[in-house]
Order: sequence, then structure tokens, then C-alpha cells
Amino acid sequence: MNSLIELGLQVPVRLDSTLCSRFRSTKSECAACAAVCPAPGAVRLGDGAGNNSAEINAACVACGACVSACPNGAIRLLEDDQRVAERIAQKVHAGEVFRFACNRAEGRAEMVLPCLSRLTEALVLEPIRGGAQRVELCAPDCSGCGLRKTAQQWQRTLAFSQALCESAGLGAARISSVQVRVGDAEEIRLPARTPNARRRLFGAIAERWKTSGDASPIVAEVGDEVEPEPFRDIVQRHSENSKRTDLLRVLDALPGLNVTSKEVPTLGVPLAYLEVDQRCVACNVCETLCPTGALKHCEEGGNYALEFNAAQCTGCRICELACYHQALHLRETVDLSLLYERRRVTLISAKLAKCQGCGERILGTAVTLCPACQVSGDRRDSVARHFFSGGN
Amino acid sequence: MSEYSPIVPREAVERSFAKQGPKQYTLWVDIEHCIGCNACTIACKAENNTPVGVDYNRVIEIEEGDFRDASKTPNVGVTFVPMPCMHCGQPACMAACPVGAITKRKEDGIVLINKDKCIGCRYCSWACPYGAPQFNAEAKIMEKCTLCVHRVEKGLQPACVTTCPAKVRFFGELNELTMVMKERRAKGVAINVGGADTKPSVQYTSK
Repeated sequence: MNSLIELGLQVPVRLDSTLCSRFRSTKSECAACAAVCPAPGAVRLGDGAGNNSAEINAACVACGACVSACPNGAIRLLEDDQRVAERIAQKVHAGEVFRFACNRAEGRAEMVLPCLSRLTEALVLEPIRGGAQRVELCAPDCSGCGLRKTAQQWQRTLAFSQALCESAGLGAARISSVQVRVGDAEEIRLPARTPNARRRLFGAIAERWKTSGDASPIVAEVGDEVEPEPFRDIVQRHSENSKRTDLLRVLDALPGLNVTSKEVPTLGVPLAYLEVDQRCVACNVCETLCPTGALKHCEEGGNYALEFNAAQCTGCRICELACYHQALHLRETVDLSLLYERRRVTLISAKLAKCQGCGERILGTAVTLCPACQVSGDRRDSVARHFFSGGN
Repeated sequence: MSEYSPIVPREAVERSFAKQGPKQYTLWVDIEHCIGCNACTIACKAENNTPVGVDYNRVIEIEEGDFRDASKTPNVGVTFVPMPCMHCGQPACMAACPVGAITKRKEDGIVLINKDKCIGCRYCSWACPYGAPQFNAEAKIMEKCTLCVHRVEKGLQPACVTTCPAKVRFFGELNELTMVMKERRAKGVAINVGGADTKPSVQYTSK
């Protein structure tokens, strides 16, 4: 019975903070979830000082806009994307139009959602993967809706899905939005196979029962009495960005895939290409703080190399913001075809040397002192100058 | 020997502790009379149990003057500048930390490193113009002077202050300390090096 009550009271979304950019770095100013959340006070962002993390509380209305907006896939609804994708796959008819509609749209649709902002790129492309001719997003004028703040999110998802479709060589026209009148949307039901609400509730309880039985890796489920793991150990882990994994899986399976190069501005897409210049000192902070593990370093025979997997990068900019020497930058445009290649690119490769001051390893042959020793040398000189302008 | 000096008596320190509202605890070092014995460095090491190579407090020696010019009288001298963390008003280390492990406490102005959060990237030591944060290679985290926060919270002065045999290190609230020192006509000089103004709170009395 307790689990029944718990099921009724809990926040309908789960935030995996290890994937949240704000949790990992106080330099992150990511506000993707807060910017689209229609429920006042549901998303609380930290202040940038000690605690910067995003939190979602019980004011959440489960529209799913933040799930779609979070580039790192840190937020998941209890009915996760995989289950929605399965429902879509059941309803797709090859060669026909697949319609998504929101609750307020008039007419019939293959799938009715509380809000179109629930859709991620992977879900929009799922019908195409299943053989549908076209995908239509049916929405009335969002300005009259209580969730209107989310409109920007589904339009962004639509635009990115279209761009992805184009890069896959299928043409952007396969996905479109249709403005319909306000009414009551009716979902085209599958005969018999859809379980009713009661069955779904008990199904959910059974599922929870099952997951609580095995040692599931969900961190939030661990009891309160366990001592919290130190932050520095948590950030050494890189969780899987399931949102990106889903997208890559759908992209790979698109029928008639013919990858073409398509450059889009990095601003506004959850993808980026990085560049590292000679200022890099091999501190590995970018690798540590990257939520998705897109960056990895390797040291072999006194050589340091930083490798980058663009397909995993979500353009969250932590690496760029955190880099002390500003050695790392996002390119202004990004080629969407990077999502189809899974190869690791070497961003920088250089010989490691030893600092002549402290023996610490440093990168490059131009300097003989590590940044700390350079600073402390300068410091003493400055102190001396400050007190005795004519000192030797 | 009393742990308070006649210059900053017990009452002044107690007034500092009793002060309400946001305040800035700090140190005042009279470098004119510092004898460079390094007792503060040792007291700090013992109090904070720091490993070899990690010193929260260091005494820098500055040699001055010239004896090579035969036409002039030699005027050589040496000055000792004890350098703990300056507990800056705008800490450069705090701004540089990528994970927000460094905070400046509002209630007493002490700048502290959160050992659970620190990822040991050393950005703070690169940013600090005074070289205060140091890398603890054993624990793989950064450490620095805490102004003996564990003692201060109990109403005690930092270990370096109570130990100083020459009684040239004083502890107190910044405004309180400034007032006391002004009465004694000392000139406060905050070391400000490294270009960026970090508003250091530790004061020095110069010659």
C-alpha cells in the first residue's frame, strides 16, 4: 500500500543529476529545463555558488518539455522515451502519414500527447524509421494554452528533426507541423492491445516492484541512511545519455539512409564540434566535467592526446566554460553528418614534459614551468616590487 | 606568556568575536617587526597536520640594498613577509573553481575549500596571485589556510597568531582591527599583486 501512496505523490520526472551540466560545473549557465517549464516554481535552479544544480519538485505537471529540452538527457519521465517509442512503433503503417497531436487539437491522430513538447527528436523520427511516409505534428494555436511556454520547445524539436531528416538524405518535408482548430483530440486506438488505466497503474506498481528487487543503478532510489558519495567521485563517472543513444539508434535504422553533409549553427542545436589550441595544459578538467563522456584522454609513451566523440557531444559548453586557459572552443557551425560517424577524433596530441619547478607533468615544449610555478614566481617578484620599488 | 599581544589586547579580539552581522575575520601582520623565525609556519603545520610540501603559511624573504657600489655605504637588509591566505573580498580562486568547491562564508568572510567537492584541478592555485591554495598529492585535492576556522568557531585565535613569539601577527574582525591599529598610528598596507584586484583582507603594517 505504501508504494501506492508513494506512486501518487512522487514527482513525475526523475532527474539524474550526474548528467546535469549545472550539477557538474558551477560555471554552467544551462537553463534549458527552466526556460521551457510551464509550471511556475516546478524547476529550481541553483544560485551558481555552492549549489548550482537544477531541481524539479512536485509542482511539475509532467508535460515533458524539460525531458525534450535537456540536451544531456538528464531528465526522464516515468513513462520513458523507450516505452513511447514502442507505442509509436505499434501504430505506424508503412507508407502512410503518422500524426502526433496534443490534447487540445481537433481531429484524430495516431498518438495524442498532453503536449507536443513531450516529443524528442528520436520520437519524431521513430515513425519514419517504422516506414511512415510523413510525420505531422498537429497543434492548435499554442498562445491560448496554459502550457504555451513549451511551444518554443516543440518547434525547436521540429526544426532539428527536419534538419536531421535532411542530413539523412530523406528531405526535410517528411516532417511538418499542421495548425488545427481547438477541440478534443481522439487517439486512434489499437484494438485490445492497449491496457486500460487500471491495468496500467498496477503494471507500473509491478514494474517498480521488479526494479526494486534487482540491484538497479538508479542513484536516487538508494536509501537516505547511506552516506552521500563525495562530489569529486561522482563526477569521475559518466552516465549514459539515453536520449542520445535512442536518437543514434533511430538514425542508424532510418530506411533509405543516405548521409549528406549539412552545416547548421551550433547555437540552438544539441550538438557541437570542438577545437583545442596550444594553450591546453592537459589538466583533464574538460574530460572530468563532460556529462556524457564525449571527451577522453589517453597517455602513451610520454604523449598526451585528447580524443573527442562528436556523436556523444550535446553542446552543453561545460568544457568551454570550465577551461582555465580557454584552450577549448566550440565551432560556430556543426555538421549533422557527425551523428552518423562514431569515430573518435584527436583534438590535440603533444609530448608531456616535466615542470622544472615542481616536477609536475606539463604539456608542450615551449614552457619549462607549470602554470602554478609560473604564478608563484611572479608572485614573489610582485611582492618584492610592491614593498621596495628600488629592490634588487 | 599570554596568547594576546599588548597591541591587540584580549578585549579587542573578544569584541571581534561578539560582533553581529556579516563580518570579515582577518590577520594583520606587522612586517616591520617580524623576525622571520617561521614559528607561524610550524604552528600551522602542527595545527592543521599538513603533509610535506603543503604549507598554508609561508614566510617570504626579501633582500634589499646594495653593497657593490664602493662610493656608498652598504645599506643591505632583509624583510620577512608571512603570507597566509588573504581571505580576499573577491577571491580569484573562487571565481576560477569550475565546480564551486570554494566559498566565502558570509558570516565571517573566511574563504574555504570544500574537500568533498574539490576535484584537484589546481585552477585555484593558478588563479591566486598569492599562491595560497596548494595541492595535496596524497588526497589529490587542494588545501589552503582556513584561518583556523575550527579554532575560531570555538572563540580561539588561529594557531599562528597565538604562537608568534615576536607578537607581530594579530587576529580580529577587519574593521575592529583597523580601528585598533589606527589608534596606534600604524599604516595598513594590503598586498595587492597579480593585476586583478581581489580585495585581500589580510593587512600588513609597512615600514
